[in-house]
Amino acid sequence: MSEGIPYTWDEGLIILASVMVLLVLVILISIWRKIGIAKEYTYAMIKGGSQLAFTALLLNFLFDFEYWYLPIWILIGAMAIIGGYTSARRASRMPNAHRITTPSIMAGGSLVLVVLALTRAMPLRPQFIIPLAGMAFGNSMTICSLALNRLIREFETNRPALETMLSLGAGPKDAMEQYARMSVKAALIPNIDSLKTLGIIFIPGAMAGLLIAGTNPILAAEYQIIVYLMIVGGGVITSLMVVTLARKLLFTRSMQLSDWV
Amino acid sequence: MGGGHLSLINIIGGKKRFGKKWVLRGIDLDIERGEIMALVGPSGSGKSTLLRALNRLMDLDSGSINYRGKDIREYDPVELRRSAVLVPQESVMLEGSVFDNVSYGQRLKGDVDEELVGRSIRDAGLSMELIERDAGKLSGGEKKRVALARALAIEPDLLLLDEPTVGVDPKRVKKVERTILNIRKKRSLTVIWVTHDVPQAMRVSNRIANLKRGKVREVTPASDFRWEGAY
Repeated sequence: MSEGIPYTWDEGLIILASVMVLLVLVILISIWRKIGIAKEYTYAMIKGGSQLAFTALLLNFLFDFEYWYLPIWILIGAMAIIGGYTSARRASRMPNAHRITTPSIMAGGSLVLVVLALTRAMPLRPQFIIPLAGMAFGNSMTICSLALNRLIREFETNRPALETMLSLGAGPKDAMEQYARMSVKAALIPNIDSLKTLGIIFIPGAMAGLLIAGTNPILAAEYQIIVYLMIVGGGVITSLMVVTLARKLLFTRSMQLSDWV
Repeated sequence: MGGGHLSLINIIGGKKRFGKKWVLRGIDLDIERGEIMALVGPSGSGKSTLLRALNRLMDLDSGSINYRGKDIREYDPVELRRSAVLVPQESVMLEGSVFDNVSYGQRLKGDVDEELVGRSIRDAGLSMELIERDAGKLSGGEKKRVALARALAIEPDLLLLDEPTVGVDPKRVKKVERTILNIRKKRSLTVIWVTHDVPQAMRVSNRIANLKRGKVREVTPASDFRWEGAY
């Protein structure tokens, strides 16, 4: 078995500085061919790099901190809340969308983390919990946005059919049922599709990371599948919950269509 | 407007606006049990809005609607809509066959009474041969009938019809009118019939309420209605 990245972090800094030649390359090409991304790219690199450096320092601290299990809750809570607000912003036309996205992401993300902990797939160490929580909440957030946006679109385009159902005595649950089902499916399809091409077209993030870190390829593949199980498992809970909770924002208490749509 | 104690519906001071525009500006109207009340008036006079308010697809901004002596806001909306069913002007077909559409209201309650579905399809003047057909592929006139049958299969007490013959082949308009009149008689329904066609209102209704700019200008027995050919 290999030993992962064969240099230390301070040596890494020098190497990173040398790879910056690629940044210079992009800037030069951008100026030469007037692509107009030089400024944007430099800014993004500085911003993203600083954020990542901050996270790295935080993780470095947490990994060595004796009482890591105290602050980790704040971190996990922050992930769910930021995920909830980001997802809500993408459904910007829906007022107070964060009230439904945040609990949905929290539920989907937390549930899979609990399963991973109980099955011992995730050792209870910050090195595992933090990146896996990041993946769980991050993917729940994406799936939440996909499901909610699809649901809002279905709601907008099917207003006459929805009113017809309501006028015949359907409640919001009955009226929305088929659109809710469609939205959950549409939100999960991209992940299910990428599952089919797994290992053929690309080596996905978690496995690539583990390989670079020197993990046995078979173990890395096993872990990648665990990650996918986690993403789709959390996604189905999140999307189901968000389309269910959305009824409260799409319909009034007297079972009428909300007028913000 | 008399007969308060007999009235199925009392609308008092009904007002509704959309944005800055007032669509209903103080509607007062009583509708008796078992009658056909036609609502006539130019487009924008508030006829359809009033029907939607009666079905509670929207609420009035002020004023009240009493149904069977109780404010409609006190009813469970589902219960109210099953009793006062709306057949909108645009007949939106739900996914599936004619049978799926007509039995929709019953499926919501749990059991499908196939006999009642069949009777509603026949009462609405549809051929039973259409029962398995994809409802979305029917002609405009057939869709109107499916929408009517769909409403009848719920066994409502009050039928709210919004322009039930608009889009129907002119040669068949009178046939649709007869169908509706037969249903009303057979099932002793109360009907509120919105139409812009005054001669039709005079043919089908007991009384006519003439709406203009969100107000009831007059309510007269259909036989006494004087119409100068313009609103």
